[in-house]
Amino acid sequence: MEINFDEAALAPDQALEATTHPLQTSLQANLQHIQETVGNSTDIIIREVPIGKTGEQKIAVIYTDGLADSKVVIDFIMETLMLDVKQLDMSETAISAPNIVQILKDYVITVGEIKEVADFESLFNSILSGDTFILLDGYATGLAVGTQGWKDRGVSEPSSESVVRGPREAFSETLRTNTALLRRKIKSPNLWLETKQIGQVTKTNVAVMYIKGIVDDKVVKEVHARLDRIDTDGILESGYIEEFIQDETYTPFPTIYNSERPDVIAAELLEGKVAILVDGTPFVLVVPALFVSFLHSAEDYYFRADISSLVRILRYIGIFIALLGPSLYVAITTFHQEMLPTQLLISLAAQREGVPFPAFIEAVMMEVTFEILREAGLRMPRMIGPAVSIVGTLVIGQAAVEAGIISAAMVIVVSTTAICSFVFPSYSMSNSIRMLRFPLMILAASFGLFGIIIGLIAIVLHLSSLRSFGVPYMSPFAPLIPTDQKDAIFRLPQWALLSRPRLIGKKNLIRKQIPENQKPKSRE
Amino acid sequence: MKHFRVIGRKGVGAVKRKAALLICVLLVFIAGCWSRRELNDLAIAVGFGIDRSGEQYEVSVQVVDPGEVATKRPGSQRSPVTMYHAKGKTVFEAIRRMTTVTPRKVYFSQLRMFIIGDELAREGIREGLDFLSRDHELRTDFYIAVAKDLTAKEILSFYTPLEKIPASKMHNSLDVSDKSWGPTAAMKLDELIKDLVSDGKEAVLTGITILGDPEEGTKRKNVQMIDSPAFLKYSGIGVFQEDKLVGWLNERESKGYSNITDTLKSTIINAPCPEGGRVGIEVIHSKSKMKGKVRNGKPEAEVEIRTEANIGEVECKLDLTKEKTINRLEQEFEKIIQQNAEQAIKKAKSLEADIFGFGEAIHRSNPRYWNTIKNDWRRQFVDLPVHIKVDVKIRHMGTVSSPFFNQLKE
Repeated sequence: MEINFDEAALAPDQALEATTHPLQTSLQANLQHIQETVGNSTDIIIREVPIGKTGEQKIAVIYTDGLADSKVVIDFIMETLMLDVKQLDMSETAISAPNIVQILKDYVITVGEIKEVADFESLFNSILSGDTFILLDGYATGLAVGTQGWKDRGVSEPSSESVVRGPREAFSETLRTNTALLRRKIKSPNLWLETKQIGQVTKTNVAVMYIKGIVDDKVVKEVHARLDRIDTDGILESGYIEEFIQDETYTPFPTIYNSERPDVIAAELLEGKVAILVDGTPFVLVVPALFVSFLHSAEDYYFRADISSLVRILRYIGIFIALLGPSLYVAITTFHQEMLPTQLLISLAAQREGVPFPAFIEAVMMEVTFEILREAGLRMPRMIGPAVSIVGTLVIGQAAVEAGIISAAMVIVVSTTAICSFVFPSYSMSNSIRMLRFPLMILAASFGLFGIIIGLIAIVLHLSSLRSFGVPYMSPFAPLIPTDQKDAIFRLPQWALLSRPRLIGKKNLIRKQIPENQKPKSRE
Repeated sequence: MKHFRVIGRKGVGAVKRKAALLICVLLVFIAGCWSRRELNDLAIAVGFGIDRSGEQYEVSVQVVDPGEVATKRPGSQRSPVTMYHAKGKTVFEAIRRMTTVTPRKVYFSQLRMFIIGDELAREGIREGLDFLSRDHELRTDFYIAVAKDLTAKEILSFYTPLEKIPASKMHNSLDVSDKSWGPTAAMKLDELIKDLVSDGKEAVLTGITILGDPEEGTKRKNVQMIDSPAFLKYSGIGVFQEDKLVGWLNERESKGYSNITDTLKSTIINAPCPEGGRVGIEVIHSKSKMKGKVRNGKPEAEVEIRTEANIGEVECKLDLTKEKTINRLEQEFEKIIQQNAEQAIKKAKSLEADIFGFGEAIHRSNPRYWNTIKNDWRRQFVDLPVHIKVDVKIRHMGTVSSPFFNQLKE
């Protein structure tokens, strides 16, 4: 059994290595090798044509149907080769210029991106990325012509981070579209882009983008080092990359930021962060990530500073309720009844009359029901949505209370908590808080408010110990950086945001050259 | 081999850490919700009364039936509160004996009202209070009152209209009358104990009594009629000597007491007009200062009362647009306030109880002298000369200046 396992493990390696052969001079041999390697896949189109006046030069055009833009292939490659080149006398030109590959490249093919390729690995790479490959009989080099063009979703509205005011475009699945969206926002030659392929089988294109001169070069180097360390067969979403390169695995908190909004990523790049774009997903990763950036929304910068600060405070309150709502209720009603005003206590006690479960069990039941509803709402076909929400409302809202299984106050607490868990601008942070709610509830049920405090202390200690690509996760609070408070809990007006975050944009801190000119002149 | 050992050692560390984590998690469950009480396992006590019953204490507790109080459906025949009572040699024993009749554990944190029976108050309240100040469960924000000529049990078994929970009614109405009427003393436990232990000040407690037929008040009929046959009513201030009730101040004296001790917030004062009828003012702000001093080896006290008031009601022809009228009124009211205060002091002197804290004032100004008369203070107080200065300022006339009937032709 063990031997078989080893063989199975070795087999794909050998197949992969087989593709690094150099091209041969015989067209037939090359074509045969290609067909053997792709296993006669029907979407790989191989077209053999004789070209020249007499058709003495045999060539083959190879492309992947669906990945290559068929219009470009027909208009600029097939037509040129089969019609225009007919006028050329191959035997005559062959004397003066012996290299037909060079002629095709320099004078015939009217496509922008073209390069000479001499080995099978690059050949397959270009064909499977949508390029068209031209092989000539008698030559050990071929031409890879850039004809990429496939159906993509196009740029649409962001679905996970919506705003009232702000751009309505989101990244899509195509890497090139995504880099273009960022280029359109930052028209600076300093916006650098480095691409690499990750995944032995999927060969997914991963682009690292940053603004040279602002970014900390050490972080870029670290990003490259961590990306190069990845050894896996496939990358299908940026989540794969995130898990491979994050600083800490055993933490409920995300240490890498992600967004599907180009404006958010552009803002992060301007702060000196590094973006990692992965082909095939609209979610772009950003490192280093700070805890506060998960609580900031793009819209905070599009509305005026006062309202943005207010909304941020509201959001922090929401986060505390989302984290502590049920645990505070459990702790106070089962341990610290003396804290409640008499009237409130009596009304809560009246609601609990006849409820058979302890408050903690009640809370856990409701929370779990809600989480199931929420998960079901995400997974089910969209058409069934209203049906499930009606059942959910009736079951957890009304029927449970009327049947006397759950007290009405608990429904209020759980639904407030549920609503508050949706105020997070970032879905990944909302998941962390959802997860932490349950241990806090257990602590509250065991030790009351003392348990909650112990839990909070543990969370804060843990948060302070986290780092993201060398930057303390809790900065600018721990360590306290006074200048960065301008855009942490509050947001000061744009003219007061003079510098970049001290720990991230330290190479080029100044955002606005002449601070005195920034403030709008008041009426004289 | 070396490689192996490194892995081994790392493994042990990880196991230890995991074990520590596991123990921490298990500890959470071992604690097992220690001292957890579900809301529906509590009998929420709002009223608490102590009476003397022969050699024993009789303890009465008014417990809320939350389902009845918070219910939305009408027509329930059950009363919103229940009273339990038990006897015991000590208060604590009586409370624990009560568990033989209560279905749930009595929970005292939400106590609103503590009533002391008249008989017990006259015998001394010292021993009964210890439990209240010692038990950790009690919040000290409840009010204390003495059942005037009644037992605490009678007061606590009373139906009150408007407010379903009688103890809440007592608490709220004491709150309100303390803020806008004056001749009551809203006493909390810590204040009472402070006065009891003080040498230079005697304690007072507000009195609560029943207006109307006491029998009717204990029946449901009391809250079913528009004009309830019986009410709970605060009346007067009980004067204590040490921890024993010795007498009562009437309404006027109580007002004077509040005025002197600077606990008066707002009240109404009437004065006769020169041509018959009366004028009423609403005191909006009152401040009093008490000073003690020693003159010629004899203690003396000075009280300065400053009152700001609005005119609330005029029942006679007065030309309020003239400054002279206002000045005359101010003098008139100064006289009345002074009389109130003097009467209160006279009554206190007759009961030999320095409820105003003149002794404390002398202690503050001359501690050494105080030490010499401390033990004889009760007698000294009877002869203490008190100088009272009153200053009344009338600020506003209300929405009209002179009464409308000034313009009527006769």
